[in-house]
Amino acid sequence: MEIEFGARSDVGQARGNNEDCFRTAPEMNLFVLSDGMGGQSSGEVASRLTAETVVAKCRETARYDGISDAGARLADAIRAANTAVRREARVNSGQSGMGATVVAVMVSGERASIAHVGDSRAYRLRNGELEQLTRDHSFVAEQVRNGLMSEAEAAQSNLQNVLMRAVGVDDEIQVEVSEELFADGDTLLLCSDGLTKELTDARIAEVLGEIDEPQEAAERLVELANEAGGSDNITVIVLRQEPRLAGAFGRIGRWFKGS
Amino acid sequence: MAKLTLKFENAVLHEVAVGTKEVSIGRSPDNGLVIDNPAVSHYHARVFNEDGRLMLEDFGSLNGTFVNGQRVKMVSLKPGDSVAIGKHTILVSDSREATEPFWKGGAPKPAAPKINETVMLDTKERREFLQKVAAVGESAQPAPARVKVATLVVRKGNTDKSEYTLSDKLTVIGKSPMATVKLKGWFAPKAAAQINRREDNSYYIGAADKVPTVNGAPAVHPTKLAAGDVIQVAGVELEVVYRD
Repeated sequence: MEIEFGARSDVGQARGNNEDCFRTAPEMNLFVLSDGMGGQSSGEVASRLTAETVVAKCRETARYDGISDAGARLADAIRAANTAVRREARVNSGQSGMGATVVAVMVSGERASIAHVGDSRAYRLRNGELEQLTRDHSFVAEQVRNGLMSEAEAAQSNLQNVLMRAVGVDDEIQVEVSEELFADGDTLLLCSDGLTKELTDARIAEVLGEIDEPQEAAERLVELANEAGGSDNITVIVLRQEPRLAGAFGRIGRWFKGS
Repeated sequence: MAKLTLKFENAVLHEVAVGTKEVSIGRSPDNGLVIDNPAVSHYHARVFNEDGRLMLEDFGSLNGTFVNGQRVKMVSLKPGDSVAIGKHTILVSDSREATEPFWKGGAPKPAAPKINETVMLDTKERREFLQKVAAVGESAQPAPARVKVATLVVRKGNTDKSEYTLSDKLTVIGKSPMATVKLKGWFAPKAAAQINRREDNSYYIGAADKVPTVNGAPAVHPTKLAAGDVIQVAGVELEVVYRD
């Protein structure tokens, strides 16, 4: 089974620079997205260093493939990125305090291993329903999960931008890893918060449902987020599991499934 | 304005004021007062103001709502009343003396972000932050004594084993080679449903080719599993148990 993918990153309408970054390594079925933060242009440095370190580290461990599972490899790679970002910040005083979020997915057959830190997200579209697969490591999201804040309070909170975990903040980093089913006809979406601040889940689901071609879908999502205000950098990666019966047969199959 | 204080034994878990908007109570995370316990219905009850009176209505919950020991359907509440839902207690009081949770007032020091600018908390800040939360109510995230792994026991249907330990992060139910709970039979779906084990060791079941039911209710959205839950999907029936 082949994975089709498309990706796009855009500065948005309100920011002077793009601190988001993505890297793809289709030969490993690896896709990484990172959203940087920090003064001057250090956010850009942090996100690029994070995404590139994750890819480099996974490449390095690819030859041991089979010894450890994809989730563990991703977590290791993100820990290596954390070390790299902290080292860079120490060496370069202008970059102290920089950090980044990261969400990375590695696909093997119908299994998607997802690792993330921060509030960049992974979603899955299945039968027209969009489901958030990652839980934000933000203060408000954790409060809601612990029943200390309602969804409504969270939506109004002035602490929405406070992250509880990020790459580059501490020597120790807790990476959340999950394993997901990525079946025929499913679509995976990785995105930075610049997308979800502007578009509702329903709108995102609609676009992913309407546009078959992943690159076209990625571009359309960015375009719509910009039209809706583009208050932050916007980055999306769209992955689609190409049905085994490609082409016309696949389409008929999908049609029978009612999606 | 009335205030509701959610307690479990002596621990105060949450406080919420009842203003013009009603406060719904239940297990679902979209309630105003969330009680995360399997004995509590997803939408269990609500408290609201009506003609200057504070009212409580039970939504026909399975295990009931008790005010001062009496099972109730719809009653008016007064300060000092004690509402029991499962093993949790909700105390009713007048909120004039209540202090607002700090996140509703001015932003605390580590978090005065410029609009739209994401900030990160390091370990020390995070600890201080959580301590402030604890001062408002919750003993932040009580850590479970040890990790418990759930087991699925097959009660009905054609599967390759009679029970499955849910030790993986992903358990697929279906005919697919990656499925753990292997279904037999010609028409069995490749991936009927999936169960995810999350970072906090909770389990959620979600739909794939089929929509599973949990205790008879369709799990259209990912649904948290608890001990004793019965899952039905693609002709099999599975019970969630925890073994020591």
